[in-house]
This record gives sequence, structure tokens and C-alpha cells, in this order.
Amino acid sequence: MRRRALLLSTPLLLLARPSAADIVYVLNSGDSSIQVLDATTREELRRIPALREVHHLVMSPDGRDLLIADSGANEILFVDPATGDVRRRERISNPYHLAFSPEGKYLVVCSLRRNQVDIYEARDLTLLGRLRMPEKPSHMAFRPDEKVVYVTLQGSGTIGAVSLETREALWEAPVGREPAGIIWHRGKLIIGVMGADYFAVMNPETKEVERQIPVGRGAHTIFVQPDGKALWATSRVQSRLAEIDPTTLDVRRIIELPGGPDCIAFDPDGKLWVSLRWAGRIARVDPRTGEYETIRVGRSPHGIFVQPRRAES
Amino acid sequence: MTETFNRILDSITGWIFEMIVQPAMYDLGLMDWAEDAVDWIQFGLFGVVTIIVVYVVCRPLEAWRPVEPVTDRRAIRTDILYTLLTRLGALPLVAFVLLNSLSAWWAGTVADSGFVPPTLETLIPGLREMPILAFCLYIVILDFGEYWRHRFQHRLGWWWALHSIHHAQRQMTFWTDDRNHFVDEMLAALWFGTIALAIGVPPGQFPLLVLVMRLAESLSHANVRLSFGRVGERLLVSPRFHRLHHGVLSTADHGKNYAVLLPVWDWMFGTADFNRDVYPRTGDPEAPEALATGGWLRQQFIGLKRLAGAIAGRPGY
Repeated sequence: MRRRALLLSTPLLLLARPSAADIVYVLNSGDSSIQVLDATTREELRRIPALREVHHLVMSPDGRDLLIADSGANEILFVDPATGDVRRRERISNPYHLAFSPEGKYLVVCSLRRNQVDIYEARDLTLLGRLRMPEKPSHMAFRPDEKVVYVTLQGSGTIGAVSLETREALWEAPVGREPAGIIWHRGKLIIGVMGADYFAVMNPETKEVERQIPVGRGAHTIFVQPDGKALWATSRVQSRLAEIDPTTLDVRRIIELPGGPDCIAFDPDGKLWVSLRWAGRIARVDPRTGEYETIRVGRSPHGIFVQPRRAES
Repeated sequence: MTETFNRILDSITGWIFEMIVQPAMYDLGLMDWAEDAVDWIQFGLFGVVTIIVVYVVCRPLEAWRPVEPVTDRRAIRTDILYTLLTRLGALPLVAFVLLNSLSAWWAGTVADSGFVPPTLETLIPGLREMPILAFCLYIVILDFGEYWRHRFQHRLGWWWALHSIHHAQRQMTFWTDDRNHFVDEMLAALWFGTIALAIGVPPGQFPLLVLVMRLAESLSHANVRLSFGRVGERLLVSPRFHRLHHGVLSTADHGKNYAVLLPVWDWMFGTADFNRDVYPRTGDPEAPEALATGGWLRQQFIGLKRLAGAIAGRPGY
């Protein structure tokens, strides 16, 4: 009887075990390493050696692999997001920024230094097309129907639109000095204009900039909060984090965040994890209070990602 | 120690960039180069540290056992200017600006050919887990490349026209290491880029090791009667070994001891001279006097003139 009770209660005991913490991946672009941190204790769990310059990362559409781009080494690392184990590496020409198309059919890779945009078959990484672009293709955003990718051309001050069907450049339109981060938001493109203090809202149909969202000098990247209730933008010169209303596109709040805030990741509690490029640190920001703490990491931290790992109860 | 050194270097770099350089770049519309600027600040800071370390190590040695008395301080001051312009990043920055478009074009052309350049670690996968060993292997291969570049600098007339600036110094000290014509430095960068295309560039996370290498290179030019002994002379280029290369009878294609860091290359290719008692006078008797005693600008100008003369086939340039 006692044994049966024990057997019956085992699943409940398993569910009640101490919850595993989320893990945070930080790409230290300056010292060729990927730091894996325990989100609760902030302790380093492991450090994955990369070869040269890791900048950006993206989760595969099936959630199985975390793709980490090492631009200087010409390779992408496929990492098990739950453990940090490197499953394999693929030789890819100078991958800087990378993203999967909305339906997961294509993987698009921007090479900032080689002025190229590569379109790969996501399934097997067959190179479908390589476009020679004007200067410094930096970040990208997709049209939801997966037919067009929009690329910021940092050196040209323009946005380039590329057809994913024909793999040809469709158009190029001026947006402002040194555009960087870009998202597709409700039919518009929102672009960080690094040489200015605002994000530009561009209508991709008319190619006109319809309005500006002032956030602070050196407007850089922008991310959608997972519940869709806010957009979060960074400015690297004035070192700010800006919360933007997704409907009105008005700035709700500015959080001063010294150290050159760059990329943002969100944890399941809604906290923001922000890489601070010039400080060798990351920040964990509570969006409710605006308070933050910083954690020392490696040199020039850039891409950042939170892998939820806590047990459900 | 390495971590502490990196942290201090990074903290100062970050502060200078965030407080001074980045706001200025923003105002000047140069944010496109912001990340490169961080690298250049670090380059300059690292240069300051290098100069201090080299001075602290080499100057007492030169005072302790000089090969020759200092008779021409002006020539040394010119070498100091060469060092400052090179190590603090001014000349490398100009070279970067001049070569950047060429570099982007070349990288794009290589990519379009379908060739994805490897790294040493992709060629030898075991090195992935041993970054310090990988770094050392890069140094060995690059030093091998430097040996052959140095030999061509002496063998090819037009290249010697530039490189003779380095050899014209009669008052050789540890400051002489960076005494090179600007075009010669550009050629060195292209040479390095070509090798890097085949094996990749070394990982950048070991500035302390680079510092030790720089120290060894500067020390090899020092005005000090110092040999590393029977075994040491075969492992690392010493002031004695390199002075023989700078000797008055060792100019142009009569050279010996071409190695920059590792004498093994001279040993392998029959150009080594391990005669440990010889500390010859240095200089190039055939070079114009201005290359020995002129100022930086004059030497650069004459170097260009000699280069043109050599290409045109003028005897004695």
C-alpha cells in the first residue's frame, strides 16, 4: 500500500522539484566567446569558445537549435539552447545578422563587411541567392507574407527591399544617416537611425518616412515585447532604453541605461535583458519599475537570448 | 592576470569611446564607423601600454651594456616619431582608410567565387578547444610569412628602395623597430591579408601575448650587447642575432638573419649566422644620408623617390 502511494505520488514530486532557472546567452563579440548564465543566480554556467566575432543569434523555427553567427570565422554554430552544447557548425560566408523568414522557409544572412545579403534554404542551408548590396547591409525585417525582406544599409543611409521569390533587389529608399535595427510593425517598417535621435516609421508601399519617434541620440535597435503590449528601443549614444506604445507609437517612458544598450531579450517574467556594448556588461531591467542591475560579462557583448527553462507547476 | 589586463583595457576603452569619441562621431555624422572606432581606441591604448613596457624593459638594458655610445640623438628622436605614429595608430588608421574599400571589394569578390575562406581551426578542428595553442600556431605561420616578406624586401630592388629606410639607421636602438616607409607598411598589410585568406586571422583575445611579441621585436633592435646563448639564439631572435642583420655588410641581398621572431626559418633556409661574438656597426653605406639622419617626412619623400627610380630602372635609384 505504501509503495503504491509512493508510485502514485512520484509525478507530483517531480513537478514539485526546485524549478530550473532560465538561461541567458550572451555573445561577447570582443573576445570570441558565448557566455551562458544562470538567470537567477547570474552565475556563469559555461563559456562556449567561438573563433572570432560573434554578433547575432536566432532560434530555428522548430525551436531545436540556436543559431549563432561568427562573422570573422565564416561559420554558424548550431547550439542546443537547453544545454549550450554545440551540435554542429556550418561554413557560411561572413554571417553578421541573420533571421528566418516568418514561415521558416528561408534563412537570410547579412554580411556587413562584404556588402552582401545571402538567401539560404532554411531546411538544408542551400545558398539560393547572393545579392551584392550598397554599403553595409546590417539588420533585416520580413514582410509577414514571406515575399520580401527589408535590409538596413548602414553605409548608404537607405533601406533595401529584396524579393525572396525572385531573389532580386526591388527598391532602395533613403531613411536617414546610418540605419541599424528594423522591424515590421502593423504594415510599417520601424527603423533605428543611428546617426540621428529617432526611429523612422516608413511606409513600405510609398517608401516614405511618415513620422519620427524620438528616443535619444544614436537610435539603434527595436524589439517587440512578447505579449505585444510594448516596443522597446535602444539608443547607443545617449544610452537609453525607450518604451514605445505599439498602437500610437508614442514614447511612454525613457530609462537611462549607461554603457551603450544594444540588443534586447525578454524573459518569461517580462524582464528585459540588454547587452551594454561599451561596458562589458549586460543589464536586467524591470520594466514595471524601470530599475535595473548590471552583470559583468565578456568584451563587447552584443547578441543576447533568454532560454526559458523553469519547470511548470 | 590576462583577464585583469583585458578588463582594465576594456574599461578605459569603453569610457573614452562613450564619453569622448562616440559623441564626436555622432556630431560629425560618422556613426557608421562607431564599432571600428572602438577597435582603434583599443589599438592606441594598447600601443601606449606597449611603448611603456618596451621602454621599461629595454632602456635599462641599453644603459647597462650598450653596444655603442649614443652619438646621434636626433636620429633616435626620428625613430621615436616612427614608433608613436605606428603604435598609437595614426599610420595604421590611414592605411585602413586607404585599404578598406579594396578590402571590401576583395572580400566580396572572393565570396562571389563561392570560396569561403577557412581558419586554422577549421583546417585542424582539435585547435577549437585550445585557443592559446591555436594563437601560437598562427604566430608561427605568420612569422614564417614575415621571414619571406623580409627576404623579398631585400631581394627585390624596388622593395629594397623602401626597406632601406629601416636599415639606414646608424644609431640603432629599440625605437628602430617601427622605422618603416608608409608604403612598406601598406605592403606588409597586404601580405598579411593574403596569408589570412588562407588560414584566417589570429584570434584577438590574447593582447598579453601580442605584447610579449612586440617586446621581443623591439628588444631585437636594442643597443645592447646581449645574446640568448647557444640554445636561446636558436629559439628567439636576440639583439645580437638581429644586429648582425642590420650590419653594414648585410644590406640589400647580402643579408643574413632575416627572421623577425623565430630564427628557425634562417636555420632552415640557410641564411642564419649564429656567430655570437659579432656586434657590427649598423647602417646602409649606399643609402642617401637623409635616410639616416633626415626627419620623418624627408625620409618618406626620399623613399618614394627611390621607389620610383627603382621601378624606372635608374641605377642606384
